[in-house]
Amino acid sequence: MKECILAFFGSLFLAILINVDRKKFFWVGLPGSLGWAAYAWLLDATREVIFATFVGAVVVGVYSEIAARKLKSPATVFSISGAFPLVPGVGAYNTVQMIVEGDMNGALGTGIETIASAAAIAAGIMLASAIFRIMKRPM
Amino acid sequence: MMTTNQLIDVALKAGEILLRSGAEVYRVEDTIFRIFKSYDVDCECFVLLTAIFITAKPKGSDNVSVIRRIKGVSYNLHRIELVNSFSRNLQERPISYQEAMEILEDIENATQYNFISRLVVAGLTALVFTLLFNGNILEAFIAFGISLILYAFKEKYSVIGFLPFFEYFVSGVIAAAVCLLALSFNPSLNIYIIIIGSIMMLLPGMALTSGIKDALHGDTVSSLYRLTEAMFISVALGAGVGVTLSIGLRLV
Repeated sequence: MKECILAFFGSLFLAILINVDRKKFFWVGLPGSLGWAAYAWLLDATREVIFATFVGAVVVGVYSEIAARKLKSPATVFSISGAFPLVPGVGAYNTVQMIVEGDMNGALGTGIETIASAAAIAAGIMLASAIFRIMKRPM
Repeated sequence: MMTTNQLIDVALKAGEILLRSGAEVYRVEDTIFRIFKSYDVDCECFVLLTAIFITAKPKGSDNVSVIRRIKGVSYNLHRIELVNSFSRNLQERPISYQEAMEILEDIENATQYNFISRLVVAGLTALVFTLLFNGNILEAFIAFGISLILYAFKEKYSVIGFLPFFEYFVSGVIAAAVCLLALSFNPSLNIYIIIIGSIMMLLPGMALTSGIKDALHGDTVSSLYRLTEAMFISVALGAGVGVTLSIGLRLV
């Protein structure tokens, strides 16, 4: 619960730094906390970082598509903000840190994990938007 | 209602604002197509992160091609949103050249949050993420302080503006140096959590994810550009921190 609140503000503050609209403060924080909740819960249950990240991203993606339709603004606004806590910026940084320290095996492992998590986030968000696009099309 | 050249002007301006605000390539192409379609003119366009190429094919006259070079990205969600609704409104009700350009100018000059509030928000970001990565309160407040310095430096730096990636190297050095200073007062601190929390706002998370998003849309060139950018930023940050720590930890 504490982590969800932190993730809410983490998303919100980073979104403010990229100049999100004042009226949407609550709506850009929410996906951060929903995505993090799914991620943290699955990580705890399965210990699979990439799978957990993927599911977190799907949650963020579904939220963004719904919010985009309700609030009439592009889904990217919500998905970028919501993905911030999941984004493996830390992994990218750790990789380089390990290279500098000379730990090449560690760097390779973290590096691959970083790229895989970034791919998982993008794939999760795109999956959600693809599903919504198919549903919208008249049968 | 609008001559072909004026139409191209409007489309270029809208595309430029989108690209400079960090929008995805497919969104920029979509928007340009939509603007041309609102005035019933055929067009081809090709967008890279550094340039926009448009060929307009007006009925009954020669084709017109233009290139615009784009420099400098600063991520800005509000502008993306405004241009998006501008192009959608255009589809419902085409407006005159002057009107369109005025709206786009307004979007370009739309207000941002002032420096002090952005500074405080940058600090709070570090505070929140340090806590999220299981740091304690003391570590969170040190991260808060560091990111205030880093953000102020970043803003000042963007005024001077030389080598783009050098900024990140120096930020890494500053973060690590302040951490080492704190460590010498209180050896029980976990400096890795503090450093990661305080540089969270500089990490290329958005570039990394939009890079892969572009790739999944088939815009391979732009995707490589963004991924390379993300790599350079992390390398510069990590090198700054790493070099400082490896020297500093021996001295402390």
